[in-house]
Amino acid sequence: MTSVKRALPPAITVLLLIAGWQLYTTLSGIDTWLLPSPSDILTAAADQREALARHTLATAELTLYGFGAGVATGLFVAVVLHLLPGVRVAIYPLLVISQNVPTIAIAPLLVVWLGFGIAPKLVVIILVCFFPVAVATLDGLGRSDALIADYMLMSGANRRQLFTKLQWPHALPTMFSGLKIAATYSVLGAIIAEWLGSDKGIGQYMIIQKSAFRADRLFVAIAIVVILALVVFGLVVLLEKLTVKGRRRD
Amino acid sequence: MTEALKVTGLSHSFGDLEVLKDLDITVQKGEFVSIVGPSGSGKSTLFHLVGGVHTPTAGAIEINGQKAKRGLIGYMPQQPALMPWRTIEKNVVLAQEIKGKADIAAAREWLSKVGLDGFADKYPHQLSGGMQQRVAFLRALLSDQELLCLDEPFSALDAMTRLEMHRWLLDIWEANRRAVLFVTHNIEEALLLSDTVYVFSSRPATVIEKVTVPFGRPRRDDVVDDPDFVKLRRRLTDLLTGSPR
Repeated sequence: MTSVKRALPPAITVLLLIAGWQLYTTLSGIDTWLLPSPSDILTAAADQREALARHTLATAELTLYGFGAGVATGLFVAVVLHLLPGVRVAIYPLLVISQNVPTIAIAPLLVVWLGFGIAPKLVVIILVCFFPVAVATLDGLGRSDALIADYMLMSGANRRQLFTKLQWPHALPTMFSGLKIAATYSVLGAIIAEWLGSDKGIGQYMIIQKSAFRADRLFVAIAIVVILALVVFGLVVLLEKLTVKGRRRD
Repeated sequence: MTEALKVTGLSHSFGDLEVLKDLDITVQKGEFVSIVGPSGSGKSTLFHLVGGVHTPTAGAIEINGQKAKRGLIGYMPQQPALMPWRTIEKNVVLAQEIKGKADIAAAREWLSKVGLDGFADKYPHQLSGGMQQRVAFLRALLSDQELLCLDEPFSALDAMTRLEMHRWLLDIWEANRRAVLFVTHNIEEALLLSDTVYVFSSRPATVIEKVTVPFGRPRRDDVVDDPDFVKLRRRLTDLLTGSPR
């Protein structure tokens, strides 16, 4: 009930914005290629639904593969850096600096090296996804309760038990913060990857519609990107609800 | 008969800081022994040595005739130190899990035996401080070690809860005798619970007095009004605060 109540004000805001938009485009008679009205956009979505479904499916598939690979890479990096402090001091600062390299700038290089197949696209998504996951997880692993660690040592726990019973479960909530950021990044990464050169996907669809000055279809594509990001985010939240137990949610 | 704990000539320093000096402490099987001393007198360091987390600078520690190492004691820290993501029953079997196999069925039985009925599936944050300490004690008890080490377990509780916990601890311990080494800075608590009390000096900690508590078992908590108890408490207070006897 409260969630419905909380969702109401922003929903009203959105409806008012759309109504104002429709009103403005109708009254001003602005060209459709410059600013289509919401009803134009809906019409475009209906006309294009078969093509859109195909492209959306392709992008969704690429996003999920990329997200999975990016998360796996992030977790691997976090665990390795956590367990090997020597490697950590050598690598971690470089990792942070490397995030200042815009992915979109190295993307063409990836095409040169890896061709036009799925490989360079996956690498783009991995590059945008792994960092938030790695940093958040590493942080969580390093901040487990010293008192519980002390108790476990006195009770004869070894390093492996400290990791599996204390540090890893402790890191889960922080890891999920990283996963949520990576979830939205993954869709962004997939779109950029498709811009590089692809025969399908919402990113490729956007390139074609841009050349044709079809602003109405570009708006449809943007809406699909937003929905995709929300779906991936929602999946992560669902997974969090299923795995993170017993903590005060504050 | 081997002692549950035998500490001989134990000294420990952190660099130049001398913390413990030439301590001799014995805990017999089934005996409740307390250590009282001023705050910062190295009582927690003693536990870390007995628990095998640190190696002493000099002297020997034997637990059931075995040289001290990790995993030989049941430990109850000052804070409950429960895992917030585990249910109470899963927390209680943690030490068993570390040593090998957890017995959940036995843990459930114990939870109802010690007044934590209905809490098995709750999470720590749903329990009060006193309840959390009961869980921490049960976790130590279920580690199935001969020697239990309790490190100021009630110091963070309010006075009422603390009295309740004394009653509770006496009941359970008198029915399930284990060797206990109990550290506190509360003299009354030490006398009420223990068979033997060691009085520590401030740093470096040495044993300034070993007191055998002359009250029988089962012990009721109104023993604190006994004139002999009051006299003993006075004497230990004077010892600790350094006033003339």
